[in-house]
Amino acid sequence: MSTGSGIMLALGGAALVVGVAYGVNTRSYRDAELQVMTDRLARVEATNAALRAEAAQTDALTARVAELEAALTDAQRQPEVSAAAVEAPPTPQIDAAQPGLGNAQAGADVFRKCQSCHSVGAGAEDRVGPHLNGIFGRRAGAHAGFRYSEDMAMMGADGLTWTLDTLDAYLENPKALVSRTRMNFAGLKAAQDRADVLAFLRQYSDRPQNIPEAAPTAMAPEVTLSDDILAIVGDPEYGAYLASECETCHQRSGADDGIPAITGWPEADFVVAMHAYKQKIRPHPVMQMMAGRLSDEEIAALAAYFRGLD
Amino acid sequence: MTLNRRTFLGTGAAATVALSAPRAIGASHGRPRVVVVGGGAGGATAARYIAKDSQGEIDVTLIEPSRSYYTCFFSNLYIGGFRDLSSIAHSYGTLASEYGINVVHDWAVGVDRDAKTVALAGGGSVPYDRLILSPGIDFVDGAVPGWDVTTQNRMPHAYKAGSQSELLKAQIEAMPEGGVFAMVAPPNPYRCPPGPYERVSMVAHVLKEKNPTAKILIVDPKEKFSKQGLFEEGWAKHYSGMIDRIGPDFGGDKVSVDADAMTVTIDGAVEKVDVCNVIPAMKAGLICERAGLTEGNWAPVIPATMQSRLDENIHILGDASAQGDMPKSGFSANSQAKVAAMAVRGALTGSRIFPAKFSNTCWSLIGTDDGVKVGAAYEATDEKIASVSSFVSQTGEDAALRKATYEESIGWYAGITADMFG
Repeated sequence: MSTGSGIMLALGGAALVVGVAYGVNTRSYRDAELQVMTDRLARVEATNAALRAEAAQTDALTARVAELEAALTDAQRQPEVSAAAVEAPPTPQIDAAQPGLGNAQAGADVFRKCQSCHSVGAGAEDRVGPHLNGIFGRRAGAHAGFRYSEDMAMMGADGLTWTLDTLDAYLENPKALVSRTRMNFAGLKAAQDRADVLAFLRQYSDRPQNIPEAAPTAMAPEVTLSDDILAIVGDPEYGAYLASECETCHQRSGADDGIPAITGWPEADFVVAMHAYKQKIRPHPVMQMMAGRLSDEEIAALAAYFRGLD
Repeated sequence: MTLNRRTFLGTGAAATVALSAPRAIGASHGRPRVVVVGGGAGGATAARYIAKDSQGEIDVTLIEPSRSYYTCFFSNLYIGGFRDLSSIAHSYGTLASEYGINVVHDWAVGVDRDAKTVALAGGGSVPYDRLILSPGIDFVDGAVPGWDVTTQNRMPHAYKAGSQSELLKAQIEAMPEGGVFAMVAPPNPYRCPPGPYERVSMVAHVLKEKNPTAKILIVDPKEKFSKQGLFEEGWAKHYSGMIDRIGPDFGGDKVSVDADAMTVTIDGAVEKVDVCNVIPAMKAGLICERAGLTEGNWAPVIPATMQSRLDENIHILGDASAQGDMPKSGFSANSQAKVAAMAVRGALTGSRIFPAKFSNTCWSLIGTDDGVKVGAAYEATDEKIASVSSFVSQTGEDAALRKATYEESIGWYAGITADMFG
């Protein structure tokens, strides 16, 4: 109902203005005006109600479609998954500080969140998203025939390759790694979910480097950003000075031709993105160098400054 | 007082308080006055940042003879036909109207360091509390026997962009079929280390289209040059058999020219050429020498603030400065300008001082959609600006990456010119 009350407030303001404008001897005029607005409000409310009903219906249908799709894909995948599941090692002891080996069987469940857009396994095809067979070791944005976002294509051209580390970073926060990816997915916040789904996906990749399989590459990646780093409050004045270095290439106006705009980002996304360059998960060599020499406080300062620009 | 990075890092807030003291310098005559000589990547940036960040507390005057400024960076792309000349031209209107900078179109011909005034060619002088010199380069007299400024229209340098770039492009396009384009390359150090070789690439690109049997001859006093592996790979790929380079082993360092006969003499051997691009040895813009701020060809500076080592009231930016590891480039000058602007504001208004950070990236275009880059990050030590990390494009990169690199350079051009001119 926030829309309705917003309109009410706006109309209240308008009625007040009308009253002031026409003075005390136009009371009936004002009442008529008020009546017109009240009628209009009623119509808006009715339209809103209709739209809400429609949206609810759409949601129900979408859910049903997803359900049906999930069942269908499960059925198709059944033989391969069961084979993998038989051989899969039992879920290891999970230490919260250091998630262990991903579990492919658990990953199959996590993958349900992905499969309305992505398919994997025998006969997998591109859908809303590309199919994920052979994703490990593939360059980002490089699967022939699939139309990627500009940013994904650019990341691929810059050298982003899908490995355990880069996929983990992408799944944690897709837009932090690839700013305007078409993948409209909030991300998997639990490290264990990511490790599991990656263990599941690796079964469909035949280039097993850097994939959770056996020690020493078997360990799921550590969470790379601690809450302490995300909690640093940036000094925007220091950020303004540091930003002058960014603004040689990234335009303060937010214009974007050849080099992405960096103004107006949520601070957390900015911080994650800069640390991803600093840790060389994001591929661009200039950015790796620029981020590589910034301290945690300096990254926070920059995030605070750029957040404040339109 | 000398601004010293260690002092500020060591004492933190105390240093900021101490810095408030020089505010009195400006108090006797209203706002403190900063004069900037040279409106290129160093000067325009410094003027803009000081005016912007001091929010009217500092009176900024920019002295630059040209009303239309042509950037030297991307002027090779104009020669190659990838940009219009008008696309690399910029004026100072926004700096004057939006930032309140007093833009004076005149030549600065001398500095009276005791009176703290800059003399103008048009007469009169401009007083300063802090002076920033960013005059770019001039050529060393007699560096290439047979060449001087009186022959520069027959043998253009095109190393200050504008009419010289236009002239060189016209000469290349008028070359006879199968003719010879010669470049006399400069010795180190000089403006834009990959510049001569990007230019050769752009000339080759034009000739390959219009005059494919023409030849390019580079006469080079240096054994090695910037991005050499990348350029040589690109030349073999795009312009096979067109480009020859004569290094010092074969007399590339013993060269003279004759503009009347249109010949280049290399270690006694005379070559007839059709176009001759002479890029002589360089030195700091003449004003530095006239102000008595040079040692050898360049003007030494204190890395943390870009102050002259010979006069603490004068900062020297960009190509003219001797600062250490940074290449002489527009990007470097722009980067140094921001450190200097912060130091100048700190000294004059007591604003906060942060650690000096510098960076540079140089993109070069080898052929259509074939861009490469080299860059580094720098920090100030007591003796020099020192490189702390670097990267360079690799040979054998795929076409998509090279295209992305070129597109990135276009974005950078838009970014740095907005950063300079507002």
